[in-house]
Amino acid sequence: MRFAVAHKTATYLMVGFAYLAMTTGGAISPVMALGGLVGLVISWWWEPPRIRYERWSLAWTIASVFALAYAVLTAVVTGDFLGVGGQFLTWLVVAKAFNRRAARDWQQLYLLAFLMLVAGSVLNPELTYGLCFLGFVISSTWAMTLFHLRREMEDNLLVKHAAADRASERVEVQRILDSRRIVNGKFFLGTGMLSFGVFLAAAAVFLALPRVGIGFFLKSRGGLTLAGFSDGVKLGGHGVIKNDSTVVMRAEVPAKVGGREAPDIHWRGVAFDYYSKGQWTRSSRAPRTGETVQESQTVDRKYLMWDGPALPWSKVDALAGQLVRQDIWLDPLDSDVLFGAGQPRIVEYQHVVKPRRFAAQYNDEMRLTHGSTVHYTVWSQLRPPPPDVLRAARGPLPRNYDVYLELGPEITQRTRDKALEITRGLSNNYDKAVAIEQWLKNNATYTLVLADPGDQEPVDFFLFDRKRGHCEYFASAFAILARAAGIPVRNVNGFLGGEWNEYQGYVAVRAGDAHSWDEVYFPGAGWVTFDPTPPADIDQLGRGGTGWRARIGRFLDTLRFQWTKWVIDYDLASQLELFKSIGRAIKGAALSVKAAAVRVKDEALEHWPITLAVIVAPTVLLLRRRRRGGGEPLLGARPVRRSRTTVAATYDQVQKALGKAGVLREAHTTPKELAVRMAAQDLPGAAQVGELVELYYAAEWGGRAEPGTLARAAELATEIRAALDAAKRRRRR
Amino acid sequence: MGLLARLRRRLRPPRRLSFTREGRIIVVLAVGVGFAAINTGNNLLYLLLGWLLSFIIASGILSEMVLKRLVVERRPPPRVYAGEPFLMEVVIQNAKPKRASYSIEVEDLSGTTPIDKRCYFLKIPAGKSQRTSYRHTYARRGLYTLSGYRIATKFPFALFRKSRDVDAPLDMLVYPARVAVPRPVPKTTSRGDATANRLGRRGEFFGLREGRSGDDRRDIHWRSSARTGRLLVREYEDELARRVVIGVDNAMPEAVRDAVKDGALTPAHEAAVSAVERAISVAASLAAAYLEVGWTVELCARGTHVPAGTGRVHEARISRALALLPYVGDDVALATIPPKVESVLVTPRGVSAQNRPAATTVMDV
Repeated sequence: MRFAVAHKTATYLMVGFAYLAMTTGGAISPVMALGGLVGLVISWWWEPPRIRYERWSLAWTIASVFALAYAVLTAVVTGDFLGVGGQFLTWLVVAKAFNRRAARDWQQLYLLAFLMLVAGSVLNPELTYGLCFLGFVISSTWAMTLFHLRREMEDNLLVKHAAADRASERVEVQRILDSRRIVNGKFFLGTGMLSFGVFLAAAAVFLALPRVGIGFFLKSRGGLTLAGFSDGVKLGGHGVIKNDSTVVMRAEVPAKVGGREAPDIHWRGVAFDYYSKGQWTRSSRAPRTGETVQESQTVDRKYLMWDGPALPWSKVDALAGQLVRQDIWLDPLDSDVLFGAGQPRIVEYQHVVKPRRFAAQYNDEMRLTHGSTVHYTVWSQLRPPPPDVLRAARGPLPRNYDVYLELGPEITQRTRDKALEITRGLSNNYDKAVAIEQWLKNNATYTLVLADPGDQEPVDFFLFDRKRGHCEYFASAFAILARAAGIPVRNVNGFLGGEWNEYQGYVAVRAGDAHSWDEVYFPGAGWVTFDPTPPADIDQLGRGGTGWRARIGRFLDTLRFQWTKWVIDYDLASQLELFKSIGRAIKGAALSVKAAAVRVKDEALEHWPITLAVIVAPTVLLLRRRRRGGGEPLLGARPVRRSRTTVAATYDQVQKALGKAGVLREAHTTPKELAVRMAAQDLPGAAQVGELVELYYAAEWGGRAEPGTLARAAELATEIRAALDAAKRRRRR
Repeated sequence: MGLLARLRRRLRPPRRLSFTREGRIIVVLAVGVGFAAINTGNNLLYLLLGWLLSFIIASGILSEMVLKRLVVERRPPPRVYAGEPFLMEVVIQNAKPKRASYSIEVEDLSGTTPIDKRCYFLKIPAGKSQRTSYRHTYARRGLYTLSGYRIATKFPFALFRKSRDVDAPLDMLVYPARVAVPRPVPKTTSRGDATANRLGRRGEFFGLREGRSGDDRRDIHWRSSARTGRLLVREYEDELARRVVIGVDNAMPEAVRDAVKDGALTPAHEAAVSAVERAISVAASLAAAYLEVGWTVELCARGTHVPAGTGRVHEARISRALALLPYVGDDVALATIPPKVESVLVTPRGVSAQNRPAATTVMDV
């Protein structure tokens, strides 16, 4: 690939990934996002010789001034500084991409790309940001490296020196930029691996940086208003309720209650005691959620008493062992309620800076103000007591529990009569509740198509006229009929079931899984869940399909979950937990190594003859090889030092003698050149040196060791020494 | 090497690091993003901060890798003259068996500061060497020592410039500037080369020299020529008639010498220095001119004497002596110039001195 094209491609990839990271969150209007993308694509071809930048610079300046004025005005009017800022950033990037003339413009493009990534961190917390970030890391490594090389080439290779006496020549930079030899696939692979290393290092730094947020500017992202769950029930209205497949909650549950075949879990959220005019609310007389709270520096733990007494924490811990634990990540909803399976008994929430205050709670609800995804742990009781126990449950109601029996005056007589009719002949509340539940399942059908009851009481309209409705109608009808039959009951909203994710072992609860059901109180046995909605119809999304599309969907959700768990909601508590687990792993590994070493030592001592043989045999082998003085090297191919011939050794001695006599052979002079020089200067022994050099060349480098060579060399050496001595004596004289 | 210098060398950090403009921007961005991350608790900002920090770390590791196992060899030209540009050849070898080095700069160091020129190598493949050169000019003659060289790189992201100083002293002997100067007309009775045409005269054997066009074939030393493969001819004493003694007066008033030593030259001092330098350049150029045409040249200066000789090797000897010629007081005697021998005394104009010998020609330059 040509160098200039490689650099441009890497830069566009970098800018493109940053742009997608900012815009895919949905905070930038789709029209603006698409316009910016089209602009970036067109700018690829907007360059000389096709375009002369100078012609367009005035137009771009005017357009940029207008864009700035528009952005300021829009931001002031709408108050959405972040969104408008993102849009203006889009304009700046496109404008810069159309005007990339010099190195400074490329640099500004990189800076803008980074700013888009920063903006994206606020505008797009989704998994797409993570994927774009990975792409950005790889492409930015390429782009920055190539940009550096390009600028260095432009700065340093502009001249070449042909010779000292000739003027330097300019080198055409364009020729270098068009070169295909500078970067190739190997370069991209190498730098790609480097960028992967950078990504891993970034992840490591991310995990290691202490999360000690001061939170001056901490803002929640606000809750999602989704179809399905709502913090209140209002019957009536018309239209079609749409299913929403957005995952709102993920819960890691033990294998015994997870899996594709396990029964659906009722994820309890809000509970209502007061019904009036088709609307369920929490009355001020409703019993407050009884709880005992244990607070520490990082964790709040609450034991929900329900109708029982407070327990010491030792007993609560023991109870936790018998309950079903769920680790829940709840996305922000338009409510501060927390969800838990069945009947939540213990809830634990980790905090960082200061304990979070639980909001006032009624009807055994759990509430906690949270503006972003919240992680908490719940221990729940999933199985109700056996029917015999429930049938035998009798006794007075706890204080204030009479609110669960109240019926408003608007409940029609025929509704009350129907309740009595259904429960006629049954002696206990359990059988009555089961009868009402069955009656509703048998006599009404499920639909998401709503019909307006007009002035008619909604439950009456559902039971006697429409006979079709969604879960809230069934649950409301059950509660009204049960109360009419003298059974204490309350309406509960939450989620039912969820898709089992086999890749990560969690239940993904979607907005469309929102559900409504009831809880009946049995004195001495507690609250028991009754769900009168026909089961065949309520599970629109079910546990998830087994086809490849469903599997891919679940896999993507796994990625989203991990993204949320390890990036978006990674906090000091998660960090401490991570460090602890790393510490445990290291300790475990050290213990394993130690145990292995001890095992090896014991084995070695036990089978000492074999051990001795294992140690002695290689040693003997090594010593033998050394005594033989060679052979193939044991490890790798070590270079063997070249041995010199005996004639060469004789020459070396002569050279040393010559050196002592002042005839030095410099490093750049060959033996033959020295001999020639000696002859030219008529130095003593010159002729003999010339002959010796010939013998030396022949023996050492020519491979010609003729008989008598060594003897002749020794003879010559003697003659040379004699000549040198004679000259020395002459000089002295 | 003095104790202090040794200590400084020991304490010198193995690498120097200086941030570039881009590096400073990245650091400012990292600080800004870090501040924002702590204040907002936005984990994606922590992720960006992690990327910025690892980007800097990766940059440091890579620059270290490209700087490793690079061997530099500097090859100066055989002769360097003051005031004339020369090309210093720089050969760099990448001794790494597998990894190429990118974007390498090599600078010669004078003391601890680099000279004004640097060589740039875009890519040095593994196990290969590359060469380039830089053009440099020394304004004055003398012995310059390049203490070593600095290998630096801004690879891979130009966030900072990492460099490694290597001690590799290289002496650069700068010969006096070459000036165009005609040989004075010989004034001795022999008129310089007049004896060269007296055929048949054979004085005492003086030595061998390389043959030139026009040499008498009888003077060829056949045995040595056969041995060496080059034409060598005998020289006889009578040829020494083509001999010249060049004297140069390197006397300098004490005040100027002190000013030179202190580096505080006044315009008057500078004029004196320029005059002496000019005289030395003229002497060197004259010597080269005489030697070029086969004369035997002897050099005399105050405190310095180069015996008579011929050939290019002798020219180098004279140039070397003149390159290193110090300024001395006029109490130091200029060697006596023998009579009846052609002699040229080069004196600096405007610089008076005692003890100047007589010469057949005096050039006041």
